[in-house]
Amino acid sequence: MANCIVDKDGIKRYLVSVNVNGGVFTKVVKANTLLVNFLREELDMIGTKKGCELGDCGCCTVMLDGNAVNSCLVLAVDVDGREVTTAEGVADGEDLDIIQEKFIEHAAFQCGFCTSGMIVSSRALLNENPSPSEYEVREAIAGNLCRCTGYVNIVDAVLDAAEKK
Amino acid sequence: MSVKVNRDYSYVGKSLDRNDSYQKTTGRAQYTGDLKFPNMLYGKLIRSDVAHAIIKNIDTSEAEKLPGVKAIITARDVPAMKYGLSPARFDENIFCTDRVRFNGDKIGAVCAVDEETVYKALKLIKVEYEELEPVFTVEHAKKEGAPQIFEEYPGNLNTEIHHKFGDPDEAIKDAHYVRTDVFQGQRTYHAFIENHCSVGMWDGDKATLYSSCQSVHYVQYHLARVLGMKMGDLRVLKTHVGAGFGGKLDPTGLDFAAVILSKMTGQPVKMFYDHAETFLNGRGRHPITMTLTTGVDKNGKILGHKYTAVLEGGAYTGLGIASTYYAGSLLGVLYNFENYQFDAYRYVTNLPPCGAQRGHGQPQPRFAFEHHIDLIGEAIGVDPIDMRLINARDANTYTLAGYEVKSYNLKAANKMARDASGWKEKRGKLGVGRGIGVGNGGFVTGAGFCQYRTDLPHSVGMIKIYDDGTQAFVYSQAVDIGQGSDTVLLQMAAEAMGYPYEQCKMYAGDTDLSTLDFGAYASRQTLMAGWAIKRAGEDIRQKILDQAVEMFKASGKIKEGWAYIGNRELRTDDLDVKEGVVYVKQEPSLTLTFEEVARRYFVTKGVLIGRGWYHPGKLGGNHKGAAVGTSPAYSSATQIAEVKVDMETGQIECVDTWDVHDSGTIINPKLFHGQVHGAFYMGIGETIWEEVLFDKKTGKLLNGNFSEYRLPTALDMPPVLSLTLDESWEPNGPYGLKEVGEGATTPTMGAVANAIYDAMGVSMTELPITYEKVWRALKDKK
Amino acid sequence: MYLPDFEYYAPDNIAEASKLLTQFGEKAKLFAGGTDILVKMKNEVLAPEVLISTKNLGMKEIEYVSGKGVVIGARCTHNDLVKSETLAKKYASVSNAARQMAHNQVRNVGTVAGNISNAVPSADLPPIFISLDATVKLVGSNGERTVAMEDLFTGPGKTVLAQDELITEVVVPDQKMTGSTYIKFGLRKSGALAVVGVAVAVQVENNVIKDARIALGAVAPTPVRAKKTEEFLKGKTVSDELLAEAGVIASAECKPISDIRASAEYRTDLIRIFTKRALRKAIDEGHV
Repeated sequence: MANCIVDKDGIKRYLVSVNVNGGVFTKVVKANTLLVNFLREELDMIGTKKGCELGDCGCCTVMLDGNAVNSCLVLAVDVDGREVTTAEGVADGEDLDIIQEKFIEHAAFQCGFCTSGMIVSSRALLNENPSPSEYEVREAIAGNLCRCTGYVNIVDAVLDAAEKK
Repeated sequence: MSVKVNRDYSYVGKSLDRNDSYQKTTGRAQYTGDLKFPNMLYGKLIRSDVAHAIIKNIDTSEAEKLPGVKAIITARDVPAMKYGLSPARFDENIFCTDRVRFNGDKIGAVCAVDEETVYKALKLIKVEYEELEPVFTVEHAKKEGAPQIFEEYPGNLNTEIHHKFGDPDEAIKDAHYVRTDVFQGQRTYHAFIENHCSVGMWDGDKATLYSSCQSVHYVQYHLARVLGMKMGDLRVLKTHVGAGFGGKLDPTGLDFAAVILSKMTGQPVKMFYDHAETFLNGRGRHPITMTLTTGVDKNGKILGHKYTAVLEGGAYTGLGIASTYYAGSLLGVLYNFENYQFDAYRYVTNLPPCGAQRGHGQPQPRFAFEHHIDLIGEAIGVDPIDMRLINARDANTYTLAGYEVKSYNLKAANKMARDASGWKEKRGKLGVGRGIGVGNGGFVTGAGFCQYRTDLPHSVGMIKIYDDGTQAFVYSQAVDIGQGSDTVLLQMAAEAMGYPYEQCKMYAGDTDLSTLDFGAYASRQTLMAGWAIKRAGEDIRQKILDQAVEMFKASGKIKEGWAYIGNRELRTDDLDVKEGVVYVKQEPSLTLTFEEVARRYFVTKGVLIGRGWYHPGKLGGNHKGAAVGTSPAYSSATQIAEVKVDMETGQIECVDTWDVHDSGTIINPKLFHGQVHGAFYMGIGETIWEEVLFDKKTGKLLNGNFSEYRLPTALDMPPVLSLTLDESWEPNGPYGLKEVGEGATTPTMGAVANAIYDAMGVSMTELPITYEKVWRALKDKK
Repeated sequence: MYLPDFEYYAPDNIAEASKLLTQFGEKAKLFAGGTDILVKMKNEVLAPEVLISTKNLGMKEIEYVSGKGVVIGARCTHNDLVKSETLAKKYASVSNAARQMAHNQVRNVGTVAGNISNAVPSADLPPIFISLDATVKLVGSNGERTVAMEDLFTGPGKTVLAQDELITEVVVPDQKMTGSTYIKFGLRKSGALAVVGVAVAVQVENNVIKDARIALGAVAPTPVRAKKTEEFLKGKTVSDELLAEAGVIASAECKPISDIRASAEYRTDLIRIFTKRALRKAIDEGHV
């Protein structure tokens, strides 16, 4: 494979250039480097969290080319040349995204650990479906577990952030 | 107590935004696992893979040779002093010294330059065990000749309680109706999403430990004790904490290892769990068998009640003694009856230890009693809510155990829930497969006693006004684990001082910087830390007003003999301060800003500090174990749930829920209702879905993941209508408040179980009430 | 958690992929969405020395080919199935089946080929494809072949794929069925494996069942056709009693096990219930 270098112990590493939140980062990783660790360790972006690490809890959710995915189950080598959006990149500079504003207004978080993934899943939903039904909101975040809020205020916040039909 | 309450506050009672809103919604909030320090090492615990065994040999030689491994420690490298949470049962070691007591027990720790190397090193460690026969059930633990897991618990009996008030046998003899039911509660666990993590580092003789914990004080206290350090030499602090629900109260092997390994290596060490290890850390709900016998008169009034609880405690005690007491100690608060016998037994087994989980020992007994009461009502022809109205406690009474209950509005809560849910139109009229059920609950607002014997106050608050008066720094070791304690304490501080909330900043959960507080458990912080902070705020206010008197006089705005104030000197009590403005009550246009007064204070008198503290004082109850159950205030709550049951498959769907909370003054309604939502969520999950499962032969954890330990998803959760009682006001709580965080979980299991019974007609006495159990019950009924 | 080391290849075409699969034999695994294999590797159930990524192999189209049917590329994700306009027009039951799988994040990366070739007994796509008489195209070093979906599975986690073969497409053929649906019964409404899965396709004319295909998931080592039930239904007039009887017959055609999620007894009765309900739904909704 192109962009592969081998060190004296025979360990292969790959060059990865990825657009994260609008900035392009180039790093060298092993094949078994997971995207979630790449973001947190290589790029010092700690907004994406590690919880179950098996794709069940959703707190590692990022957008990959616009689709919400579990970054704990994506290889860093597979994001070369692609676009990743993390919780840190949902806001537009200093201005909060409407979803973030509504989360604050509705107190849609308590301990906050699921919140990064929850907001990314919500943003991915509204990008594709600007006026979802309540069912569609719940379906979009069904892969994001929250132990604190029971989802009540989260669903309210996302519906409030959505375009009114 | 019906009090016309004046709630004209600036900040208390307002749904202000959380103080951590920006960080948490933008991915900036740092949790312990997000911390990075120069030269930091990564570490994990070495765990047993057998349930009950003598450790013959731990061979770390291969692991030590792996490049990047920095240190490996086992029991011989650390102090052997035992620790725990209940002083009567300190039975845990940092690492097992001679034997392991559950599959996953901690026997050592490894640290290395990165995560991957740690995992590789763990695989190279070889442990030789002499396996012993394991004990996985209470039946086995009790048996004659069963293996003894601890020398100090003969018969594997860890806790035994016998309470008797009045004469229940006599009272039941003359009852119109007597009923006995047996119920089973299952092992569940807190299932917070953030795994435990600890980062330790040293600077000379001073250690610093970041810990994802609920109480920096207890972690500091226990670590200092075992490691032989002065408490002041160990700084324990927290970053943002990803929830706890009782599971982050015990000091963990990560805490000890982080401090020890960082000293050994001279580098910061981050110790962390994988998600399955949070299950192995345990400290969740005990499996519990509950046998209830109640005698009532023809109206349903409880004449006598006998209750036996048998708990399976897992391998270590932790808070397990308190859990055992709580299983029975609060029943007499909810309901008013005089004749009560409570016998409880807690056994140890070779499984992860059980401890405190939201509602601490109460939720499953509430499930049992609330369903039992419904069955009694059905038998004698009394509606479930009427059963509760007849028996619910009133305010300003003493329980049979001698606990004083001031505000208490359980009857009003029942009525409001009944009306809000449409109970009268629905109960008995929803048709087969649909049901509505009610459950009552409530909790202590802080425990009357510290976890260890001490004369310390329960909370100390300190507020510093910045030199130029533009900021107020509020200090408390109270820990915000998501419930919002930072925000509500800041609201109370601002209110007490008369200072703008926006200019208040919290320094919480740091044993160096913040002042003593026992931490987040027993739903104590809003009341106890609240009192300490409120008093600190009032101290500031007093100093500000005294200073302002001087300044008004010196300004010439108030002359001696001023007519408005009765021709006498201006006094402090002629002034008031609100939202940053000091004013003369009799002439409000005469003002000074808080800032200018504070600045003048700083210049003339030095730093402006307010101090306050709180101790609950001697609380009632003279029987053995009375300590568990004492509290300055008791909340109460009624919850109603409406469910649909598929009468063929047994599938249960919770379609609507209501909660009415008797919580006194609500400091922040938005955050308050969020707590109710989350408590409902946990209660519904534990009623229908959640159970920790183990292999019956090896004691290995089978479902330590979020796909087989099923939490409800957003598609499974019903709407929640959360209501409060305006007339509820608690004299023992600052601003009249009482708790909500734990009390809101206690009615849920009863309400949902009762709704399921109403829907399908078969009494389900074993939690979780899974679809398959309902299916089987319906099949067997035919 | 720890992902063990492995050699990584990302071939640019199928021939190269086949060659690598042959070269490494048992040491290698194909890697598509990764949501299954990476979980197994983290749980130490699998430790392949080589992962061969399919990311450069295309096969992401869904198109209707006249005279053939709907051709679904092997690397289409489950959400591709959910959102496909072609499927919405032609086989909405396939989209609806995919929508019940896992949760949104997994559906965005999990692939059709991945779900099928993993061959877990509780997989959701095989039953609906079997009920619609789908076929699978396999390509290897020796050329290509087409296998009926229902003949693909030989046991839990086992298929007829040769070591060097890849799935390249699934074809749902033009057919006479007038109604089809898949009902998945899981222990919660999202993120749950099927405790049982029932897929049916029926051809109903004038309220008479002319043809039926019923595929049951999670109740045998592989997805199974309930052939006796199909025979029973053919030629009969639709009624509640008929469908209830069909359910009873179907429940005798499965061989479920008891596991951490459900007992065999429960699963058997669920088959009875959901065969009846799936037939009713497929007949009433009247679309494939």
